[in-house]
Amino acid sequence: MKNESLFEALSARARSETPPSVDVSGRVIAILNAEQSRIEQLTEKPLLWLAAASSAFAVSAVVIAIMVYNASTGPLYEISQAISWVVQ
Amino acid sequence: MVLSILPGRIVSLRAERLLVELVYSLMDSEFVAEDRQKTNASLAAELHDVRLSRQGDSDAYTRLIKQHQSQVSRMLWRFSRDPLVHEELVQDVFVEAYLSLRSYREKAPFGHWLSRIATRIGYRYWKQIARRGETESFSLAEWDQLPDKSPDEMDPGRAADLLHRLLAQLRPRDRLVLTLRYLEGCDVAETARRTGWTKSLVKIQSLRARKRLKKLFAQAGKGLRE
Repeated sequence: MKNESLFEALSARARSETPPSVDVSGRVIAILNAEQSRIEQLTEKPLLWLAAASSAFAVSAVVIAIMVYNASTGPLYEISQAISWVVQ
Repeated sequence: MVLSILPGRIVSLRAERLLVELVYSLMDSEFVAEDRQKTNASLAAELHDVRLSRQGDSDAYTRLIKQHQSQVSRMLWRFSRDPLVHEELVQDVFVEAYLSLRSYREKAPFGHWLSRIATRIGYRYWKQIARRGETESFSLAEWDQLPDKSPDEMDPGRAADLLHRLLAQLRPRDRLVLTLRYLEGCDVAETARRTGWTKSLVKIQSLRARKRLKKLFAQAGKGLRE
């Protein structure tokens, strides 16, 4: 018999083999749950960092705004004082 | 029985036989219709489970796993005969299937879609072991000792094991096409569907793989058994 025919005959024979039975349902669900919580953690962390960064930015923006306000109102205050003195 | 259907009439043997055939064919068509109804019902239930799984229902996905794991296990047994690796591959199929569940378009049965994923995962595993250079041992002397006349009497497990180790000597691509065509008994269309290749590519690849298999025998100085 040619090698090829033997190969085909053995293949046909091998088709009737019964594979070992497996039950992976429990493990698959456990892996998927773990994966889900990992994804949730990953998505939560950037949000926390974003909140912290925006808070820091807001605080520094307020400080700068107060400083600018003070700097800009200073000369006006002097002028208004001078005007009120002249009026009196 | 036929005579009782037609009381008071003499029915010839030929007519009786025809009537019996008619009754049986009617019964058969009823069974076929019933089977079709059951199949449709199970497909609808499966689709419902797929949709629930997409929404995160783990019970629905457990039902899908239980329904398809024996089919997936049978396919992946061709890719690894190590029980631990095999189980891990089966598990990987269902994990990957869940993660890409949104790409399932519901045009073909869920099992067909799973078989593509199973083939991809098995092939990926072969490519990994080929990269690591872990080839399973095989001696062509084993092949030569096989009885010429009665491979049909051989234990299916032994035949599968022998072919598995023989095909492991080939490149993953050749091994894949020969495994699907011969061990799984897939035709060109089914092989193309499972591999994602075109039909012409499957034909060319089968031809090349068979040539390489012949070369393997020739290299061992065995050539053709005649």
